[in-house]
Amino acid sequence: MSSVNEEKEEFRTNSGIPVKECYGPQDINQLDYDRDIGPPGQSPYTRGIYATMYRGRPWSIRQFSGHSTPEETNQWFRQEYEMGQTGFSVAFDVPTESGIDSDDPRAEADVGVGGVAADTIEDFEIIFDGLPIDEVGTSIVAGCPATCQVTAMYFAMAEKRGLDLKRLPGTGGTDLITGMCAEPLMDLIPPHHMLRICVDLIEWCCKVAPRWHPVNIDMYNIRESGVTAYQELAYMFAEIGAYVDEELKRNRLSIDEFAPSFAYNMSMDIDFFEEIAKLRAARRMLSKMMTRKYGAKNPRSYQLRVHVQTGGSTHTRQQPLNNVVRIAYEVLAAALGGTQSLHANAYDEAICLPTEESLKLALRTQQIAQMETKIANVVDPLAGSYYLESLTDALEKEAWDYMSKIEQAGGLVGALDSGWMHREFIKAMVERQKEIESGKRKIVGVNCFVEPDEPYPGKVFHANPETVNIQEAKLKRIRAMRDNGKVQKALDQLRRDLESGANVMPSVMEAVKTYTTMGEISKVWCDVFGIWVPPIH
Amino acid sequence: MEKQDNHIRVLIAVPGFDGHWRGAMTVTAALRDAGMEVIYVGNQTPEAIAEMAVQEDVDVIGLSIFSAGYMRLISRVLADLKAKRAEHIIVIVGGIILPEHINQLKEMGVAEIFLPGGRTETIINFIRENLEQKMVL
Repeated sequence: MSSVNEEKEEFRTNSGIPVKECYGPQDINQLDYDRDIGPPGQSPYTRGIYATMYRGRPWSIRQFSGHSTPEETNQWFRQEYEMGQTGFSVAFDVPTESGIDSDDPRAEADVGVGGVAADTIEDFEIIFDGLPIDEVGTSIVAGCPATCQVTAMYFAMAEKRGLDLKRLPGTGGTDLITGMCAEPLMDLIPPHHMLRICVDLIEWCCKVAPRWHPVNIDMYNIRESGVTAYQELAYMFAEIGAYVDEELKRNRLSIDEFAPSFAYNMSMDIDFFEEIAKLRAARRMLSKMMTRKYGAKNPRSYQLRVHVQTGGSTHTRQQPLNNVVRIAYEVLAAALGGTQSLHANAYDEAICLPTEESLKLALRTQQIAQMETKIANVVDPLAGSYYLESLTDALEKEAWDYMSKIEQAGGLVGALDSGWMHREFIKAMVERQKEIESGKRKIVGVNCFVEPDEPYPGKVFHANPETVNIQEAKLKRIRAMRDNGKVQKALDQLRRDLESGANVMPSVMEAVKTYTTMGEISKVWCDVFGIWVPPIH
Repeated sequence: MEKQDNHIRVLIAVPGFDGHWRGAMTVTAALRDAGMEVIYVGNQTPEAIAEMAVQEDVDVIGLSIFSAGYMRLISRVLADLKAKRAEHIIVIVGGIILPEHINQLKEMGVAEIFLPGGRTETIINFIRENLEQKMVL
C-alpha cells in the first residue's frame, strides 16, 4: 500500500482547488484584516456573526428527527430533550414534505417511514405536546410549497396553546432547489409559481411572526447530490438573490424588513479545512451581497445564521463504526467554522433511521466537542492561518464565478425550468463516482482498507408499519367531525387568492384551523398552476 | 451469442416517493456510458414502472431504493410484471436494503441487489452476463 507521499498526485481539495504543500505570509499578504476578515460580530463577519460566539451561546444541538406516528415522534423528541438536545428539528415523511395526505393511494409505502406522518393541525398538537417550543425553537423542514401548510399548522397549534406568534422562535422550510432539483418532491408546481408562494410566506411571517425564520435556504441536499463546496455556496447565493429580488419586485417591504428573517442550512462534508473555510466564505459573501448589491443597513440582514448537518453521503455502509469518526471530524469542522446549530448524523446513516443508541452517540459527540475539547472557548481560533485564509478566499472566488454561470443559465427559476441545474447536478454525480471508482478519492472501507462484508452488528431501526393505517383512520374521523362547509369556504378563498396574486397565507391559516388537510390545500395550487415534473431524463 | 450493449434496454426508476436520485442517476449514466439504452423515469408508482417497462420493451428494470418501505414497493412491481406476463424482464435493485431482506427479495424474484458503496461496473457486468445467459436459454 503506497503512502500518499510516494504517489505523484496533484493535491487538491475535494472541490478541486489546488493546494500547496505549505502556506506562508506571502499567500495572504493581499488580505486586509479590517476589510476582508474583520473582528467577529462585525462586517464582513468572516470570523463569526457574534462577537462572543460560543462563550455567549453554544451552538444548538438540534437533531433532525421524526418517524412513524405523531405520538411516537413526540416520545422521541422528549427523549432527545432529556438527552441534552437544545433545539428541535422535525423530519416529516416524504408524503408530508410534499404536502400529500397519508391516505393518498400513492403514499402507502412511504407513510411514516422516512420521517413523521402529519396531515392536520391535530398531528402537530400531538408531535409538540409537552415540549417547550416557546423557549426552544423548532426547525420544521418541509418542501415548498408544503411548507406553507406546515408552517400554518405549527402556528395554529402554537396559538391554540396560548403562545404569542410575535414571540415564537423557529425556522421553516422553503428551499426551492432542494424540492425541485436536489431531492425532488411529488406534486410540484412550476418554479416561478413556487417562488411566488414562498415569498408570500416570507412576507406574511415578517408581519405575523417576526422572530420566526420562514425561509431556510437549505443547501444540505444540494451538496449531498455531489456538487462541490463552492457550488454549494453559489447555489445558496443564487437562491438568496431569487427570494430577495422577488420580494423587492413587490415593492412592499424594504430589504431590512425581510432579510433578517432568512436562515441558512449547509452541509458539513469531510474535507476538514475546506468545510471550515466554506462557512467563513459564506459569511463574508452574505455580508458583501446584502450591503453592496441590496444596500442593507441592518446587520441582521447580513449575519449568516447557519445550521449545519454532517454530510450523510460521506458515511459508509461498510464498516459502519468508521462513521463515528467521520461524524466527529465533521462536528469539529462545523464548530471551528462557527455554526449556530448542528445536527450530527448517527453512525448507522447508511443503513436505517437512528436507533436510540446511535442517536445518543450523535448527541454525545456534540456534547464532547462542546464540553471537553475547549474549542468553544475562543472565537474563530483558526483565523490568520495562512492556509485557511487562502482557502476561504479561493472558495469565495470560485463561488462567485459559478454563481455567474447560474445567472447566465437564467437564474434560479430559469436554470430549474430548463433543466440546466439538473444537468449540472448529474455532471457532479458522475464526476464524484468516477473519483471514487478510480481511487482518486479515497474512502476507507470502500476503496481502501476493504474487508469482506460482515453482518451489521448494531440494532436496526424500523418505523411503525401501522402508521399508514393509524393515519388513515385519523383522517376519516377528522373529515367526519369537522365543519366541511368551512373547509370548502377556506379552500375557495385560497383559490381566489392564488388566482388574484394576493398573499396565500391568510387563507392557508384559515384552512388549517378548520382541520383542512395538507393534501386538500396542495390540491388547490396544483389545480390552479398545474403539476411540474423536474426535467430529468 | 452476446447481446450487443446497444440493444440492451434498461428502465431505471425510483418507486414511491423518496426523492433521492443520485444513486439512480449515477447508475443510469454508467450504463449509458457502457453503451446501454437507459430510460430514466424518476419517481413512479410500482404499477407505472411495470407498465412503462412493458411499453418500452426493456430487458432490465433497475429500482433505486432509499425508502424503508421498499418491500411493499418492490413486491408490487414484481406482482404487476407477473400479471402482465413480463417476468422475462430482469429486476435488479440498488440502494438501502437491509441484509435481512436480501434472500427474501431474491426469492420474490429480484435477480440481484446492489448495496451502497459498490462499483457501477459490477452492475454492468451482471446485466451483460445475465442477458447473455437468457439468450443462450
